[in-house]
Amino acid sequence: MDEILKHGARTQERVSPELLDRIAASVGPSLEPVRPLPPPWAIEVALVAIATAIALAGAAKAGFDGFLGLSVSYRVIIFCGLAVLIFLAASEWVSENIPGRRRRFTAGAAVAVTIAGMLAVFGILFRDYHTTRFLHAGVACLGFGLLHAIPAAFLGWLVLRRGFAVNAVTAGLVGGALAGLAGVTMLELHCPNFQALHILIWHTAVVPVSAAVGALLAWMRDESPIPNRPT
Amino acid sequence: MATQLLLPTIDSFSRFAECGYNRARRFAPMASDIDLENLMVRYQQGDLAAANSLIQGMSPRLHRFFVVQFSSREHADDLLQEVWLRIHKARHTYRPGEPVLPWLYAIARNIRVDHYRKSARTTGQEQPLDETPEAETITTAEIERIPELDVLLAPLPKSQREVITMLKVEGMSLEEVARATSSSIGSVKQKAHRGYEKLRERLTMLGLGKGKVGELQ
Repeated sequence: MDEILKHGARTQERVSPELLDRIAASVGPSLEPVRPLPPPWAIEVALVAIATAIALAGAAKAGFDGFLGLSVSYRVIIFCGLAVLIFLAASEWVSENIPGRRRRFTAGAAVAVTIAGMLAVFGILFRDYHTTRFLHAGVACLGFGLLHAIPAAFLGWLVLRRGFAVNAVTAGLVGGALAGLAGVTMLELHCPNFQALHILIWHTAVVPVSAAVGALLAWMRDESPIPNRPT
Repeated sequence: MATQLLLPTIDSFSRFAECGYNRARRFAPMASDIDLENLMVRYQQGDLAAANSLIQGMSPRLHRFFVVQFSSREHADDLLQEVWLRIHKARHTYRPGEPVLPWLYAIARNIRVDHYRKSARTTGQEQPLDETPEAETITTAEIERIPELDVLLAPLPKSQREVITMLKVEGMSLEEVARATSSSIGSVKQKAHRGYEKLRERLTMLGLGKGKVGELQ
């Protein structure tokens, strides 16, 4: 089998010279020098900075009540954990937009790890299982988190607009998750409600909802007949 | 005689798929890789000669990739043109110093997936990417012209066909195939191993396996 495939590999594929000429002619006229993408780490830093800035700006406007209500150890665990997840999501989003880049996880696994990580941290730290105005307060937090995910996603898209997503839907999924993490970080800084179910359900929900919206928008853009590839 | 040669090589592939093929290439690029990188960098700088060299050099390989995937030369011709247009538009996303083949094949895969989606929309008969095609009867006459890779690999699911083409026909390393297919090395090894198992079963089913050596001669 090995020999057969090797023999096949040695057999020169026939491509008509006319076809090659046509390809060369279609590429030639627009052949101008292009600036390669910046190093992936620089893009990742930019994405992390955007998510952090959006979270801080939102909390600065709404108040740092949540942050002030937490003990020092809780602050360290929660915000270090969120920082790791934001970095992970930023790195995966960059990988999604550079063809042939090494991958640590699939997009779905990255989003699942993010959600599982948040659930684990929040589940361990918050033990007050009382619920007060569960639905009303929860929907407000979900909406507030998603509201902050929108600018994070938009600015992230601007940073990555020169990239080339080989799979737009998974790129949208990971991008949405990163934007959602900006929203969750803002909620952890701002929201003074430390009831376990409120945080586990409504704060965490920002990430999957935002990721799903990102994937949906990317799918719609991919399906649209308007050309959407980078030029 | 030929089967006596075939079966040990299938086994050796199974072992190599498990232990990691071409591991050294992950760290030591071959001269041709460096040439490709140089051409790619010059292409980004607007060098027409480099662009033409890349087109001349890579087109047969990309064409074979599409032929093996679709078993159709007409489709492969169309897709080859399309892939070069997309490579041209996305050429700034190549990072100098990175391997070129995974970058090129990642874009080729993107074209292939787009093509499936468009044809599914047109015909209204969507097929999952991993669907195993109907088993085709490979006749002795076809066996004799085995260099036609599309015939040889036709019974495999598309994802396994793609991985085997990249690994064994294009000579890419596991790392490069993993990059090109946006998956892990473990997943690539698994697909390659399963693909080879299927090919082995198929050969045995066709009477080309152990104990029926004579029929091949």
